[in-house]
Amino acid sequence: MTSLIDWFDSRTGYRHLLREVLLEPVPGGARWRYVWGSTLVFTFAVQVITGLFLWTAYSPSAQTAWESVYFIQDVMSYGWLVRGIHHYSAQAMVVLMALHLIQVIVDGAYRAPREINFWLGLILMQIVFGLALTGYLLPWDQKGYYATQVSTEIMGAAPVVGPLLQQLVQGGAKYGHHTLTRFFAMHAGFLPAALMLFLVLHVYMFRRHGLTVRSPQRRPETTFWPDQVLRDAVACLGVLAVVLLCVIFKGADLSAPADPSEPYSAARPEWYFLFLFRFLKFQQVEHYGLAFGAIYVPTAILVVFVLMPLVGRWKAGHAFNVFFVFVLMAGIAGLTGLAIYEDRRNADFQLAVNEADRSGERAVQLARRPEMIPVAGAVTLLRDDPLSQGPKIFAANCSSCHRYNETDGTGRKVTVAAKESASQGSSVESRVEAPATAADLGNLGSREWIRSVLVDFKNHFAPLRNAVDKKVPEDLLDNGEMADWSETNKGMLTDPANKESLDALVELLASQSGRFAQTPEQKALVEQGRKIFETGTLAKGKLSANCVDCHSIAPAAAKKGGVKESSAPALAGYGSVDWLTRFIADPGRPENYGEHNHMPAFKNQLSARESDLLARWLAGDYYRSSAPITAAAH
Amino acid sequence: MPADPAQNDRSLADAAPASGPRRSFLAKALAFLTAGVLMTLPTAAGLAFFLDPLLRKRGASGGAVGRRDADGFLPVTPLAAIPADGRPQIFTVYDDSVDAWNKFANQPVGRVFLRRLPDGSVTAFNVRCPHLGCAVDYRPAQSDYLCPCHMSAFGLDGQKKNEIPPRDLDSLEVKVKDKSEVWVRYEVFKAGTPDRIVVSG
Repeated sequence: MTSLIDWFDSRTGYRHLLREVLLEPVPGGARWRYVWGSTLVFTFAVQVITGLFLWTAYSPSAQTAWESVYFIQDVMSYGWLVRGIHHYSAQAMVVLMALHLIQVIVDGAYRAPREINFWLGLILMQIVFGLALTGYLLPWDQKGYYATQVSTEIMGAAPVVGPLLQQLVQGGAKYGHHTLTRFFAMHAGFLPAALMLFLVLHVYMFRRHGLTVRSPQRRPETTFWPDQVLRDAVACLGVLAVVLLCVIFKGADLSAPADPSEPYSAARPEWYFLFLFRFLKFQQVEHYGLAFGAIYVPTAILVVFVLMPLVGRWKAGHAFNVFFVFVLMAGIAGLTGLAIYEDRRNADFQLAVNEADRSGERAVQLARRPEMIPVAGAVTLLRDDPLSQGPKIFAANCSSCHRYNETDGTGRKVTVAAKESASQGSSVESRVEAPATAADLGNLGSREWIRSVLVDFKNHFAPLRNAVDKKVPEDLLDNGEMADWSETNKGMLTDPANKESLDALVELLASQSGRFAQTPEQKALVEQGRKIFETGTLAKGKLSANCVDCHSIAPAAAKKGGVKESSAPALAGYGSVDWLTRFIADPGRPENYGEHNHMPAFKNQLSARESDLLARWLAGDYYRSSAPITAAAH
Repeated sequence: MPADPAQNDRSLADAAPASGPRRSFLAKALAFLTAGVLMTLPTAAGLAFFLDPLLRKRGASGGAVGRRDADGFLPVTPLAAIPADGRPQIFTVYDDSVDAWNKFANQPVGRVFLRRLPDGSVTAFNVRCPHLGCAVDYRPAQSDYLCPCHMSAFGLDGQKKNEIPPRDLDSLEVKVKDKSEVWVRYEVFKAGTPDRIVVSG
């Protein structure tokens, strides 16, 4: 055995290599403060390993990037684990880099003869930032798409070469397929290759000059193996543990597929760039132009770092460097904290974040359907989804009068400027909730809606009292036939003896309603309700006027013949997609509200597509998965 | 560091073949040149390819292409859909769009805020914030536009209300055809600069 090893050594010289690598002298004994460089090499190795495996399933193009990442994350075995490790190790790398830099500066390890190695380290830092930036875009989700767009716009604001550079990295004037192919080539090819090259040089130079020992030396000289190796390994284990905890308890998220036509109000950079983001929000900074805050100031900071080895020759210079790095870190921490604090207090931003989370989950939910993702890409999933689009169309077109569960449909309160604030200048933000002037459509066509219209009409439609045109409440509430009927019969209908009769009537009308996802109708009750509808006879007493005198309903299945003429709204298919589509187009038609209509017709204001999405949302006609999405307004 | 002391005695400069220093210079120069060509050629070819976004001529824009009319306007909405009370309303702009090897018919390409003025005319603003390209929101309570990214604020006339954006909101040309159809000359401008520089039509 020994002779075999000797033979191998004589042919390869591996013993010498091993000695060279492992028996590096560590004067003053192994220390915890030397571990940072090794943890960085370790995280980079983790990134290479997980990255290569992710590569086997990733597909860079505008119609396949989000799709393949969704598939990795949600469908493939252990995809969540590999992507999660890659996601959080990247963030760990940025943190470790900062610690490594601080340690090197505090220990004076950047001074002669180690200047060049310090500069190599700064180059490595830029490469890691490049990897972080390019990696953020690759899932092609809203979050990465909009955050990266800010980065490339900043690049475009650089003097002279900026616009050309921006076109080059984007692969054109706009984001598209080639943005992804280029970012991917950078992320998985050019940058890792460059990083490896500079890392080899960095480690070689480090070995050439040896450790920068911090005095006093507490222990006798030792070697890298095994004392320091053990400390390094324990530190790496700690990093891996933190990464795994993040993966298991948080997971790498994936927001909705990138959609250039869908604004993303929750756009923020990765947390370690939040300080720069917050810095750009200072008016005093932006006063000097975008390039100043986003390019010149960071470049100036980098220049200070580059000059550190030269400045550090003097004792005072070294003190300045240490002072500078701590002030900078404090500034970064302060700005990051400020950005987080402000966002937490910003209700609009929180709503936007919730919305973004919800649409991300919705996109995944739709992608999981048996139909899967169409060839046109996942971006069409949300564009064609009533649950995603309906609320926005409602907010834009309906919420100036109607509400949806007391909001504008998207979960926001409808507000108007408070009158008194107008005189005090515009700087004071003062909003009051705007009163609705038409019905809340949150449960349109449901059993609760029907019950409330029957026994509590005036209250149900109370928002009409707020209408600017006072004829509206006069016509519909004060002199309305249905309002009058409801008031007259309320006592009788809510009489405990008539509980079943009322239930039957509600059940009949619910059977007419086209609202989706109601619990199944009870056939026996429906037939009982039909009798009441036609004869007005309750278990106890008789209605003041029969429903059928004014309203028509769809005939019972057994009977032949069309829908009867009626003087009041026809109730067949009430609240269904077709009914709503026709109603939204022109609510003044005789079978709807006729001459009692006060709602504008939308046939010229909404496209067929918008009106269809809105009607489907109101009627509840959209995909529901068995797994509920997070508690939401819907 | 070096393993073999025998190798250490030689340096590149001293390496001279037996046949003399002049031959040696020629050999060095030729080797240098050849190696240079060997390295440069593939790199240059790759770089030239990489510069494609700057080098390749694209189809001339303007004129009646896709959904655009001869002046480059796109149909956006019926006039009736813009609130009569002067509130801005957001509209999606559809156009045919090209992405590398794909052509997509009638795709959402961007959004605009349309607003009716008291004199009946219509103004249009691209929702893209001129600061860094996020989409601005209309805030009814404050009667202004606010960018959720870096808090750029603009009045309803598009004028900037703080120092964050480098210029006012980008207004777009509007024409109303047959007194009922609103057409907008949709353009995207470069973010981050005080001047309006067209990025794409």
